[in-house]
Amino acid sequence: MTSIDQTRSTRARRAAPLAALGLAAAALLSACSSSSSTPTTTTTPPGGTLSASNAAFLAADLKAPAGTLNASGSTFVQPFFTSAFYAYTGKNQGLQVNYQGVGSGAGITAFESGTVAFAASDVPMAASDLAKVPASSGPVIQVPDILGGVAVAYNVPGVSARLKLDGPTLAGIFDGTITTWNASQITALNPGVTLPSHAIVPEVRADSSGTTYIFTDYLKSANPTAWTLGTSKTIAWPASAVQTPKNSGVAASIQSTPYSIGYIELSYAIKNKFAYAAVKNAAGAYVVPSLNTVAADADQKTGVSSTDFSIVNQPGATSYPISGYSWAILLQKQTSDTTGAQVVKVLDWTTHTGGGQDLAAGLDYVALPPAVQNQVRTQLLTVTGTTGQTLLSK
Amino acid sequence: MTVLVDLPADPTVERRRAVQAAAASSLRRRKLASTAALGVCWVFLAVAVVPLVAVVAYVVAKGLPAWNADFFTNSTVPEGIPGGGVWNAIVGTMVITGIAIVVTVPLGLLVGLFLAESEGRVAAALRFTADVMTGIPSITVGIFGYIAIVRNYGYSGFAGAFAIGFIMLPVIVRAGESAFRGVPTSLNEAALALGARKATIARRVVVPTALPGVITGVLLAVARGLGETAPLLLTIGGNQYLQWNPTKQMAALPTTIYNSSSQPYADQVQLAWGAALLLVVVVLVLSIGSRLLAARLRKERR
Amino acid sequence: MTVVETPRPTPAPPDVRGRLRLPDRGYRGILAVAAALVAALAAWFLVSIIIQAKPAFSTLGFSWILQKTWDPTHGKYGLLPFILGTLEVTAIAVVLAVPIGLGTALALAYLVPARTRAALSTTVELLAAVPSVVYGLWGLVVLAPVFRDTVEPFLTSVLGWTGLFNGPDQGVGLLLAGVILFVMILPTMVAISRDVLAVVPNEQLEGAMALGATRWQVLRKVVVPGARTGLLGAFTLATGRALGETVAVALVIGNSPYIAHSIKSPAATIPSLIVNNFGEATGTELAVLFGAGLVLLVIGIAVNSVARWLVWSTAGPSAGATAR
Repeated sequence: MTSIDQTRSTRARRAAPLAALGLAAAALLSACSSSSSTPTTTTTPPGGTLSASNAAFLAADLKAPAGTLNASGSTFVQPFFTSAFYAYTGKNQGLQVNYQGVGSGAGITAFESGTVAFAASDVPMAASDLAKVPASSGPVIQVPDILGGVAVAYNVPGVSARLKLDGPTLAGIFDGTITTWNASQITALNPGVTLPSHAIVPEVRADSSGTTYIFTDYLKSANPTAWTLGTSKTIAWPASAVQTPKNSGVAASIQSTPYSIGYIELSYAIKNKFAYAAVKNAAGAYVVPSLNTVAADADQKTGVSSTDFSIVNQPGATSYPISGYSWAILLQKQTSDTTGAQVVKVLDWTTHTGGGQDLAAGLDYVALPPAVQNQVRTQLLTVTGTTGQTLLSK
Repeated sequence: MTVLVDLPADPTVERRRAVQAAAASSLRRRKLASTAALGVCWVFLAVAVVPLVAVVAYVVAKGLPAWNADFFTNSTVPEGIPGGGVWNAIVGTMVITGIAIVVTVPLGLLVGLFLAESEGRVAAALRFTADVMTGIPSITVGIFGYIAIVRNYGYSGFAGAFAIGFIMLPVIVRAGESAFRGVPTSLNEAALALGARKATIARRVVVPTALPGVITGVLLAVARGLGETAPLLLTIGGNQYLQWNPTKQMAALPTTIYNSSSQPYADQVQLAWGAALLLVVVVLVLSIGSRLLAARLRKERR
Repeated sequence: MTVVETPRPTPAPPDVRGRLRLPDRGYRGILAVAAALVAALAAWFLVSIIIQAKPAFSTLGFSWILQKTWDPTHGKYGLLPFILGTLEVTAIAVVLAVPIGLGTALALAYLVPARTRAALSTTVELLAAVPSVVYGLWGLVVLAPVFRDTVEPFLTSVLGWTGLFNGPDQGVGLLLAGVILFVMILPTMVAISRDVLAVVPNEQLEGAMALGATRWQVLRKVVVPGARTGLLGAFTLATGRALGETVAVALVIGNSPYIAHSIKSPAATIPSLIVNNFGEATGTELAVLFGAGLVLLVIGIAVNSVARWLVWSTAGPSAGATAR
């Protein structure tokens, strides 16, 4: 009933070869005379190149002062963060980071009330959230920390081929207008596949979720007028949708409910060998979600910030359209030099190739594009301590 | 020669025969009803046992493979790292539940005594309050713990103990009161006649007589406290590392189960089931132990 | 010669009132302080929740409690589907738990051979040992498919005429949540009932038997009525647990914020609403969640009052006397 995605075997560590490529490109650039007037003809990787001082920064990151940090937030990044922090403590044994996946919103609330050193959220804090941070705390910095995709998993008895679905069809399924598997919209996209006439059971999140946000962001982007349920972490799904809390709940529900279809984190779908759909992207190609195709989508738009963070439905033939970043949130003006140094160094190490990002592929996450990693470091360099000194250094 | 004489119908004899016939026939009916009703009771007993067997079998099947030396001695580790365990959660649960028990059991039993001995409107209002408290959803208790303690002092084991204690308290109060009320009045009156003070009566008559019921009630409360997840989710903050200090964030078994069971990684899920099995075993041990204790107390009193 | 003996002072008679030298007033005082502490705790709880819920009422009024539509992104906070869901799922659980729990308790107290009594009692009570999250997961993974494929079609074919079994067989929903809740509250019901039923005075039992009552008649007419107050306590605790159960219900009820139109429908309860949304809720929505908690409190009080009234009205003023 479920088919294994072939691309899993091609899951490569894209970070390391890309870094090598980046260094080679940098060397090439510096060797040639710079001609700034002409567009670049060197092979710049689509995701950008890592800055040359990366290694120096990483080495300094491992010299953070000893202690314990508390952090909380998104459940989506929890496996990645706990692995990265564990690896960090392996190299710098005095510093432990206790990360708890309590949910993006709960993490933000904890951050607003000052009970955690930093928070993690699948959707950056909106202006209304930022207003709740006391003015005396100063500005808030939000940086991407990892990349992920949302897979559309299904359980249709008798169908073993990978289904192809596009934006309008997905919108129709999840707002309740398309009700049976053999509806004309679905059969038109999947010629040669015999689809049953059984009713579709949409499976959605009952709790507030960043995965929901990314999925509905895509639906809105692909159907600007037809998708009316909005883009949010909580959606008023139609009565026909079965709502279950947490990714695991939705996944268990899909697995045990024939004729169901739902959206879950890619890492979960891969690890549990779900059947998931190839989704049509902005370029018109049907793309299977994988670490490579999510990365391809992210590479199309590396200039992300906390106010412009959506990367769904990007151009590019190999882009998987339902992708999104997860964000780390911290104060720019740290009130304790020790804690501040610990926070920026751990986050810097976690968000860069050669540090925590190397662990991403093994856990079915996608590493940040190098250009984004550079932006993260630029932001982290603005974090200051009690006397206004920069806390991150190489 | 036998002569059959038709005696004239004696109304008294007739009536006696009629009554005896009615009693005999109703006895059959009543016995039938009795057998049927008792049969239903047996069926219900079987119905009560079946889900237990199913759930425990499931927990054992999924949790036993997780039990090894590392499981009991190591703290939780991230996905992919071998040798993870739940020792930090075990310590957290012990500390949090221990604090809750130490505070709520004496307090709850004192209030149970108060209610058992009082009949006025104040007592009725308090009894009512305790009943309502048992119906407060655990998540609301968690929210209260969050507002009352976490907002001011941060996540901690104490906040968790506060929330768990809040849940256990009304159970102990009500069960304790039921048990104390079950003590026959004759014993109370005998003690009073001997000139004992109320405190003495409580200590030497009421509590020992009611002890089996009290133990059941306390055990129910502790079992509930050990398994509650929602209040802990909002108050203890969680900790991947070992922590004995209840003023800091701690781990606990129910929250570890809740969090690990929703991971997409098989070894984390197995850890969760192993922890669930551990909880079940602990309460089983407590249950059997307290039953033996209660039985011995009953024997001694005889 | 006369020897005048000064009388030796007679020693004070030994104090036979017990070694605990607490005067009655001190003892009652301690009990009263304990009671006051608990009352204060309850008051603190109530005040905290009310303060947190207040913004909901000042911004939205009171009508939202009975409205049907729950759509926070568009500012709609109708609570009615969750109130109904809570009542419905508790009703299912209690309707199952009262007779089955009582029957089981009677069996354990009077029918089961003495030697196996302890083992069987422990077995039933072991149900209370299983954490609620395990019930939720077991219900979702094991029971839901069974319900969807076997139980619900069967019930629909047999009882469909009642109109309560419309709609598709989905597994998760009110029925499954009610049954899981029933399993969870059963040990409470059984354990307390059994203890209370077992201490009915022997003289009453023997008197009834001497009059020629069958075993069932003894149980039904002497034991159960005699234990009525304690049974009310068991019922109250069990109902309280059912009303407040959060995690297990959230996993198996389907979390549909719409009013259920059949026993098989997915639904939602107030506790499941709170646990699913609290972590991320802010502002008005957060205040609404506290308000929902308040509404649940009111429901609990109402259920308690009805239960008490039932006992008093059927048993009469002597209800409490025989329990002693």
